[in-house]
Amino acid sequence: MTTTTQFKVLEQNHPRVDAYEKVTGRAAYASDVYLPGMLACKLLPSERNHARIVSIDTGEAAALPGVRAVVTGTDFPDVRFGSGALRDRYVMPREVVNFVGEPIAAVAADDEATAQEAIELIRVEYEDIPSVVNPMAAMVDGAASVHPDLERYEGYGFTLGHNVSTLLDADRGDVEQAFRDADVVVEDVYRSQGINQGFLEPMACVADVEPSGRLVIYASTQGPYQIRAGLAGVLEMPVSRIRVVPMELGGGFGAKLRLAFEAFPALLAMRTGRPVKLVNTREEVFTMNGPRLPVTNYIRSGVMNDGTIVAREAYTIFDVGAYLGAGPNSGIGHGIGAYRIPNFRLRSYGVYTNKIYVGSYRASGVADMTFAVESHMDHIAHEIGMDPYDLRLHNALREGDVSVSGAVVPSNGLIETLEAIKEKVEWPRRLEDGHGLGLALCEWRSGSGPSTAAISINDDGTVSLLTGSTDISGSDTSLAAIAAEALGIPMSSVIVAKRDTDMAPYTGQSGGSRVVYSQGTAVQRAAEDTVQKLMALAAERLGVPEDALGCEDGRVYVMDNEPQGLTFAQLAAASITSRGGPIIGTAALSSMPYTPVFAAQAAEVKVDRDTGQIKLLRYVQAQDVGVAINPMAVEGQLDGGVVQGIGRALTEDQQFDPDNGAVRNPSFASYLMPLAIDLPEIEDVLIRVPAEDGPFGARAVAEPPGFGPPAAIANAVYDAVGVRVKQLPLSGERVLAALNGEYDDIPFDVEALRLAEGII
Amino acid sequence: MKQPLTLNVNGENRLLLVEPFYSLLDCLRDEARLTGSKKGCDEGDCGACTVLMDGKPVTSCLVLAHSAHDSEITTIEGLADVDGLSHVQRAFVEHGGLQCGFCIPGLIMSATGFLQANPEPTEEDVRFAIGGNLCRCTGYNRVVEAIMAAAAEMRASA
Repeated sequence: MTTTTQFKVLEQNHPRVDAYEKVTGRAAYASDVYLPGMLACKLLPSERNHARIVSIDTGEAAALPGVRAVVTGTDFPDVRFGSGALRDRYVMPREVVNFVGEPIAAVAADDEATAQEAIELIRVEYEDIPSVVNPMAAMVDGAASVHPDLERYEGYGFTLGHNVSTLLDADRGDVEQAFRDADVVVEDVYRSQGINQGFLEPMACVADVEPSGRLVIYASTQGPYQIRAGLAGVLEMPVSRIRVVPMELGGGFGAKLRLAFEAFPALLAMRTGRPVKLVNTREEVFTMNGPRLPVTNYIRSGVMNDGTIVAREAYTIFDVGAYLGAGPNSGIGHGIGAYRIPNFRLRSYGVYTNKIYVGSYRASGVADMTFAVESHMDHIAHEIGMDPYDLRLHNALREGDVSVSGAVVPSNGLIETLEAIKEKVEWPRRLEDGHGLGLALCEWRSGSGPSTAAISINDDGTVSLLTGSTDISGSDTSLAAIAAEALGIPMSSVIVAKRDTDMAPYTGQSGGSRVVYSQGTAVQRAAEDTVQKLMALAAERLGVPEDALGCEDGRVYVMDNEPQGLTFAQLAAASITSRGGPIIGTAALSSMPYTPVFAAQAAEVKVDRDTGQIKLLRYVQAQDVGVAINPMAVEGQLDGGVVQGIGRALTEDQQFDPDNGAVRNPSFASYLMPLAIDLPEIEDVLIRVPAEDGPFGARAVAEPPGFGPPAAIANAVYDAVGVRVKQLPLSGERVLAALNGEYDDIPFDVEALRLAEGII
Repeated sequence: MKQPLTLNVNGENRLLLVEPFYSLLDCLRDEARLTGSKKGCDEGDCGACTVLMDGKPVTSCLVLAHSAHDSEITTIEGLADVDGLSHVQRAFVEHGGLQCGFCIPGLIMSATGFLQANPEPTEEDVRFAIGGNLCRCTGYNRVVEAIMAAAAEMRASA
């Protein structure tokens, strides 16, 4: 078993490699790019949520002095794109708008004020089409259709109708029989709200056209290669004619994984021959760029009197808005949580509505599922009179169990995280009146996907590390640490190369907790490849067989005679004239094995019975990180993730007009993210059960922390005052209504869904 | 139409041509090309544009550029001296008080202005002092830790 003492670089705190740039204001984000002759781009949002564009008159706007170009949907090639296989969306609508805020024209002008003035001069004539805003209403016979031609779209694989974009399912065992055999059946419906990713840096992009006609995009993105592919598609240009330069990323959390608005400045730059900059306002971030949309969860369990859960049924309705900007994929499979449940039926529907399209956010859908599953666990515990901790421990997945996906669960620290939380909060504990303690268990898997790395030895023995991944959550620092550890050199000897899509090897997006786990494995293997080449060269120069050599502290030496050896600098110098030439180590992989991540969390709250207000007094989390590559960064991820979850639990709520789906609170003054004053200090416990795969045993870190708070806090509220609120956020209004017995259960017609599937 | 404005930024008088409706933030970024101050919302809600105006933290997006003509403005670019980083900047580096970094110039300016007036803060004081600065990445734990450490360093070296 790996212990922390064997490392020379890992398991020690390292300041971020980009820390100096960031604390001095020198780090350059996309909005910090200023090019000579640069124009400003502004967008015209649709005023309607479902309408035919009868006409767009841009004449007056185009004639305004200082305006250089105006484009609308028909200026783009007639091709749809999508976030996955299904291509359901034009980059700018050609004939029909599908949500309020959808950009329908773009202007480039000498400055922002002129561009905005021109936007206001564009005249649009709309012809309304029946629309639907509520996903439950959208699934009913006779509902208005968001995409009447859906079945003709490229990549559509269903014939369900009723605005269903996707249906994902997972089944095991004999569910009906298991429910009949159960001693107790517990049923709940939960609803979670619209959530904005809340990144501080608005979407931004500068497009420039080189004299050769090649397009250069300075982007705020988690996925430079995905932007390149997306642009190539919607502009009908070869990938080779596009270069994407990822600038410093000012937060993304999933919202910047794919093509967003880059095509607008790109086309305007091509039309004008000048650089064009687009920086969204905060209102545009809220109204144009896909957030998470509300989710409704029906969940039912069959339980034996000893607490064994024998059956689970879960139907989840994901509102996907106008377009499938991100799949509900993460949601499926999390319906059973971190538990061994032998019989289950899980369904997850993605349903179109005429509101802003759904986007990705830190393991899209899993936080919604965890709120439902972990609240439901406490409900079960109370129904059968069992301690909620004991119920979780009794049903927890163990090594050798089969996960929802069918993969065997490898060794992991789930039980250790539960035990750590129990000890830390002294569970079970009786608290004074109005105070409560609640638990939640979170599960995720380490992210996979194509990963590459190249390490070249410089002439002084330092190394340059090149990957295609944009830095996210300090991943550059973690990758440098992995390289340093594997090469046996200090962090200061690793240069993390600035890169763009021209120079770096292709890689997947930075998201889904995949960079350190998958990309980090590629870095580790590239380092091993480098070491192997150094050893081969040293063997040749020292005249000894390779297996007689060791490599440590930046030096290859003869194991029987340590003073005899060559430093990396000497080898680097020698390699220039050697047969093999300068040394470069590389590695590539397409996917990684299933490696789960578990976290247990606990919240302590105080509830004001007069107002329903919840005061969060304490929050503790224990997560199995495998090995902490950079403990300071790991804790930073845990803290930040949990605080996002606390916002989701208590205050954050992106709201939509029930009639036209328009975002009702598009500002930080009305969309309430946690501030320092709202929070207790977050307490972190790192559990270290090394992963069987992953760099030096490290597991993914970033996603699970945000899953737990809504359920942990809801469970604490129940513990405090005996009411269960099943809808997020847990506002004072809802808690008070529950205390007054005026809180209504959420309606859910599960019979209709079972009927539609032919199950009953 | 752009009007001339003499602005004292980071100890230097800069003669700039600035639209009368420009905020101090737009003036600093677009005209003075000091891009360290960030525009996160342009509505005074996020604090990423915080600068010191005569030593006090202000959200520069809510200050009209021309109204700053008699003031001394300090931006994040004005903190680091030739020897390196300020105490606050160094503490943010060492304590990992930053992730994506977009909110960091504003947080560092808020903390700098606050610590100048309050050299012996409690942790709660610090949380209030940065109560106008949104950070989505860090959860504030390490930010607060960094500011407390900077306060101690500043007292020790005073």
